Formats: sequence, structure tokens, C-alpha cells
Amino acid sequence: MAPIVGIDLGTTNSLVAVLEDGGPRVLPDPETGARLLPSAVAFLPDGTVVVGGRARALEPAQPLDTILSVKRFMGLGFEHVTAEDRARYRFVEGVAGSVRFEVGGRAVTPPEVSAHVLRELKRRAAAVFAEPVTQAVITVPAYFNDSQRQATRDAGRLAGLEVLRLVNEPTAASLAYGLDKQDEGIVAVYDLGGGTFDISILRLHGGVFEVLATSGDTRLGGDDFDERLVGVVLADVDEAAGSAPAVRALARAAAERAKRELSAAARTEVALTLPSGRAVRRAVAREEFEALVRDLVERTVGPCRQALRDAGLRPEDVRQVVAVGGSTRVPLVRRQIETIFHRPPLVDIDPDEVVALGAGIQAGILAGGRRDMLLLDVVPLSLGIETMGGVFTRLIDRNTTIPASVKETFTTAVDNQTSVDVHVLQGERELASDNRSLARFKIPIAQLPAGVPRLEVTFLIDANGILSVTATDLRTGRAHSVEVKPSYGLTEEEIERMLEESIDYAEEDVRQRQVREARVEADMILHATRDSLVREGALLSDDEAARIRAAVAALERAREGEDYVAMHDAVEALSQETEPFARRIMDRSLQEALANRRLEEL
Amino acid sequence: MEAATTVRRECRKCAADAGQALVCPRCHAVQPLAPGADLFAVLGLPRGLVLDAADLERRYLAASRAVHPDRHQTASDTDRELSLAASAAVNRAYRTLRDPVARGRYWLELHGTDLAAGGPSVPADLAADVFDTQEKLEELHGATDAGERSALRHHVKGLRDRLAARVAGLRDGLAAAYAEREPALDDLRRRLAEIAYLGTLLGDIDEAIEEGSDGTDRRH
Repeated sequence: MAPIVGIDLGTTNSLVAVLEDGGPRVLPDPETGARLLPSAVAFLPDGTVVVGGRARALEPAQPLDTILSVKRFMGLGFEHVTAEDRARYRFVEGVAGSVRFEVGGRAVTPPEVSAHVLRELKRRAAAVFAEPVTQAVITVPAYFNDSQRQATRDAGRLAGLEVLRLVNEPTAASLAYGLDKQDEGIVAVYDLGGGTFDISILRLHGGVFEVLATSGDTRLGGDDFDERLVGVVLADVDEAAGSAPAVRALARAAAERAKRELSAAARTEVALTLPSGRAVRRAVAREEFEALVRDLVERTVGPCRQALRDAGLRPEDVRQVVAVGGSTRVPLVRRQIETIFHRPPLVDIDPDEVVALGAGIQAGILAGGRRDMLLLDVVPLSLGIETMGGVFTRLIDRNTTIPASVKETFTTAVDNQTSVDVHVLQGERELASDNRSLARFKIPIAQLPAGVPRLEVTFLIDANGILSVTATDLRTGRAHSVEVKPSYGLTEEEIERMLEESIDYAEEDVRQRQVREARVEADMILHATRDSLVREGALLSDDEAARIRAAVAALERAREGEDYVAMHDAVEALSQETEPFARRIMDRSLQEALANRRLEEL
Repeated sequence: MEAATTVRRECRKCAADAGQALVCPRCHAVQPLAPGADLFAVLGLPRGLVLDAADLERRYLAASRAVHPDRHQTASDTDRELSLAASAAVNRAYRTLRDPVARGRYWLELHGTDLAAGGPSVPADLAADVFDTQEKLEELHGATDAGERSALRHHVKGLRDRLAARVAGLRDGLAAAYAEREPALDDLRRRLAEIAYLGTLLGDIDEAIEEGSDGTDRRH
């Protein structure tokens, strides 16, 4: 049987890992050797779905149909979609106020989008083990609420994976660190990824990883840094062009590259060519970038202090701080960590891989492979119910170790009431309406005078941080089943339907998939080449133009066939022919940009 | 320390005597919680207000290793359900018993009473400080001038430190009260009610002091 895999389903990148005798190992793509899979999914009008690096490359051409940060939308309601989100994607309201993306002419839910990423990782793992992979541990931000966790579990199901456990990302990271260090004492895990921030404080003792407190922000990450840079770079571009999704997509990609470069270099340049052919270049010094993102980085301070306070600890009590997530490569973030905890963070393990490695270890623990290690995690947000006057009554405090359960007795307020309504929420605010609604349900009871029925309701949070509810009539001892429907989640029927629809996709053979992907690639280069020929044809000699046209014709012929190897070859041939052309276009735009600058300087 | 009672109970799987243990000593199958078991019994302790923190932690970790769902992932549905229930009970027991205040309140509950039974009352010698705190918090809430706010914050912080010292003293005093052969419930209730009252007040102060600095709530 194939092993249980550990999956880091990240905002920007996803990975799959497994625990082997020598320790955890990230499984690379068998064809390309790539370890990170960009969490990008493109939905093309012909029904083709493209995942990973190819999808990310499609974004500038298909910005509205390419979903890059689906994790930000997991478990959210339509009401939570911001104006900024709407500038980037098209949304429609789904059943019961849930979010749907309108992509490639259809509406898809965030779990469906995530499921495409999970399927790709599953395929990767299956190729390595040469047998199907069916069971997985998936990581989630520690600060994910019940709805976001449910949505992640639904994504796993849609991808044909039995999700044995949802593990909190910082906790998984601590497993990867604790494995080789055998440390004792207090450890803080500072996890700043592409879209989410988590801080967890743990105590390590005798192989037990006990989370003492966790806090965070589910909408803060490296993506926000990129957006700030985009704002600066596009400041000179006129408003209409600057807000076009395709322009923003190009600018985001360029900003992301520049951000990475600034982690090592003191200055760099954000460079991109707009669809109009105009080149945009903007020099950025590290100091300027730091000034742009400082307030974002400072937003991590509050949650860190909160977590320390909840753990009853001071910064001096922390023996080690571990930096997790790609955004902790930013020097300003590292300095911020040092300011909070009075010590530099540990960065021994690649911050992009450490969570996946930890997920692999947890998968090994569940399979019975590491009986010396045990993880005790907590619920990140208080759970409670709405009581008289819209007040939020806490039943389980945040940072309570899970599994956790609490019993609450309910009775009736009026004579002959036939059911008791329960509204479950999660959050820290005093008023029910200020917290996140998780579920509402009715429990039927026998008709009796007010106050006589006694109903005992048990709220149980399992080791995944997911709620279930059972009720017992204390007078009769009869148990009632309670179906908890997450407020913005998928219903059982929806999942069944989606599973049926996805069978075609899952069972499609590998060859067909390769043909489709090769066609997508062919279309991209054909489109770009035709476009350049029309706009910049003057830069070519007749001979060059003829050779390119011949290569285009050859690729068009190959594209109509079913031979994906021939398609790859034709793509390769065309890209060789067009390479000098592309360089010339780039040079010319740069010269123009420089000329403009000189004019301005005069 | 040994378990309080020595009731014989057969393991649901191998019929060995599992007593009140969470898992069968022979086949390690998780057992249903013994009927009427209190939180002390869950961790194999006799009822008592005096606990050794290190011993409690050892018991908690050992029990977690035995019953946690991660250890029963590959077992049957029944085994997994029992593991989930036992694990939740173990977590609840540790959370309640390790904190002297929570332990004391649970003790009152076991003896059929609670903090509310004594009615809310501000200890006489504290009344002046409490009144002052509430007044200053209200002023702070309405104040817009930066200088005034800063002065009020400073004043409230002074009060906060005094009240916090008082709570620390009360908590220290619990140990002595718990060590008595038969602690009087009224005395316990009075001490615990005062700690609870001051705890709420300190929470209000912290919230008021932090407002507008880094205390902005971003949770949703």
C-alpha cells in the first residue's frame, strides 16, 4: 500500500512529502524535478484546467480565469469578498451565501479550485510510488476557523483523498525542527507565508509537542508586500491601463521577482513590458521597499504578544524562534522577529519546505511509524453559542487543547416549544453578530411546559479542530442526531455531485492530459508570436519573418494532431526561431524607456 | 499516588481487569470513561485539592500518549470514537486541575455549589481602588486629548499593578487554604470569588490600556 502523504496546501506554492526511514522527504515532480507546485489553477474557455507553473504563466493572458491565491477564499462567505478581490477576479454568490469564482464561463467553489492542486500533488506522489495514493495529512494555518478547515477537508475529498488529519502549519514546522534537534523547552514558530500569518508557542518535552497558544491573521502575507510594490511601479502608468487585470498580473509577477532579489541585494529594478509594448522600469532600493511594507510587518507584533500572553510567558522564556514561510526571507521580517523575541530566528530548514516535511512526519506518526512523537494542538479561536439578547457565550476558550468537549444544558422559553435553536459561532468578541457564524441547527424536543424539557448538547472539537454536535434528551435519555451545516460550506449533495463530475477528470489517462497541456502551451506561444508579428514585424528581415511563419505553420499542424511529443518539438522549434526577435523587441522597448527618461531629465 | 477506588471493570476487548484505567493494561484498548468518574479519576488521582504539578504533568503526558486519536488512527470506528472522548476528557482534566483557581472552582462544583452562591461582593478594603479604577476607565474611554489620555493611562497602570499584586497574594494564599484537612467551602468561595472579580477587572484595564496601541482586534 502506498504511504500516507503529507501535503502543504499553501497560498502561493504547494508541496507533498512523505516520511521514510531516513526522515521526511519532499516528492519532486517526476518529469521536471520541481519540488514546489505553484498553487495556481487556470480555467480555459474550452473546459481545460491547467495547474501549477503553466497556470501561473497563463495569468497575464487569462488574468480573470487564473486563480492564484485560492486559499484566501477557503471557507469565506460572499459577504467577505472585498473590493480589492473584485478588482482581481469575477465572483458570483453561491448557495447559502457562499463564494464562487466565475472562471472560463462557469462557476467554481474555492474547494474545487484547491482540489485541482491536490490532484496534481496526488499524481506526483502516485508516480513516485507507482501506485495510487489515497490518504493524506493536509496542513492549514493555525488560525483557520472551523469553516476554513471544513473547506480544506472538502477539497481533499473532491481530490479523492481521505484526509486523515488537518495539521496546523506552525505545529508541523516544529515537528520538522524537533525531529533532528531533540530539544526541550519553549519554542516559538513565526510563520509568514504568501497569504497568512501564524504564530504558535510550543513546549517540547520528551517527544511531546504541546502547543500552548496560537494567534495570527488569515489575511496577511507576502502577497500584500507584492501589492504594495505594484502600486509604486504602476504609479506612472495611466489609471485605466494600470487597473487592467492583465497589467496588474504582469506587474505582480515583476514585483514578486524584485521582492525576492531585495532579500539579497540592496537595490534592484522592477521591469515589465506592458501589453501595449511599452516598457516600465522602476529602480527600488531595499530601504524604500521596507518603508512600503513596514506597517504590514508590524501587524505581526500584536498576535505574537497575544500568543505569549495567552501562554503566560515573556519573550525571554522562549528558547528558540523558528522562521517559516517564504516571506521570512525578507530581512525586515527577520529583524522584526528579533525585536519581538530578543533573538534571531532559526532558518536551518528551507522555509518553503519545512511545513511539508512536518506534514510528512505527522503522516508517519498516524501510520504508527513514529510512536515516540506526539502532537498536542489547540483550538485557535473561542467557540460558543448565541444566547439571549445576541450575546456570545463562550463554551470552549481559545487555546484549549484539542480534542476538547463541553456539555451545555438547554431548556425551553415558552410552553409547547417543539425545538431548540442553536447558533454556534467562533471568535473573541462580546456580541454574537461580531463573531463568525459556524452553523445553526434545530433540535426537536417533546412539547412540554416552558422550562421542563432538558436537553444536553455536547460540542466536540476533534483533533482536526473541526466541530461536531450531539444532543441527548435528559428526560428520556434519547440521543438526537444533529446535522451541523457549516454556514458557507458545501452541502453533502454538492460534494457528491462534484465528485461525480470529477470522475471523468480523475480517470482521464495521462497521455490525454499531456496532449491537452501541450496544446495549451502551443496556443500560448502561437498567440504571442502572431501578436508580435503584427505589432513589431518591422524589426524582422524578410528571411527571418518567413522562417518564423514556417515554424508557426508547423506548430499549427502539430496542434491539430494527438502527438504531444511532436507538439513539444514544434513549440521548441518555434521558440528558437523567435528568440532573437523577442530580444530585439525587449531591447527596443528598453531604449525607448531610457529615451523617455532622458527627455524627462532634461 | 494511586487511584482512589479499586472497582473491578472488564476490558471491553480482552476481558482483563481494567479498573478505572483509560486503557486496558493488557491489550491497550481505550475503555469507555468509568461511569461517575470525576476529573481527578480521569488522571488516576484521588479527589484532593493538593496536587503535585510535576506528577500531574507526568500523568497527563502518559494519558495523552495512551489515548490520543493520533495513536488510534488505524483502529476501528468504535476505538477511534472512544479515543476521541477519552482524549477530550484527559485534556479537560489537565486544564482544570493544573490551575489552582480552576481546580478550586471545580471543587466547589463537586460539592454542589459555585461562586455565584455567595453573591457578588466587593471586599470592603478594595472598594476605594475599584471605584477609582472604574471612574478612570470611563474617563479614558471619553478622553480625546493625548496628554490627558496618557496621564489617565499612567494612573490606571498604577492601579493595575496594585490589583495584580493583590491577586498574586490571593493565589499564593490558596495553597495554604487547600492544605487544610477540611477546607471550609465558604472560605474557598470567598477567596475564589475575589480572584474572579479582580481577574475581570484586570482584563478590562488591559483592554482599555491597549486600545489604539497594538490591541486592535483582527480576528474574524
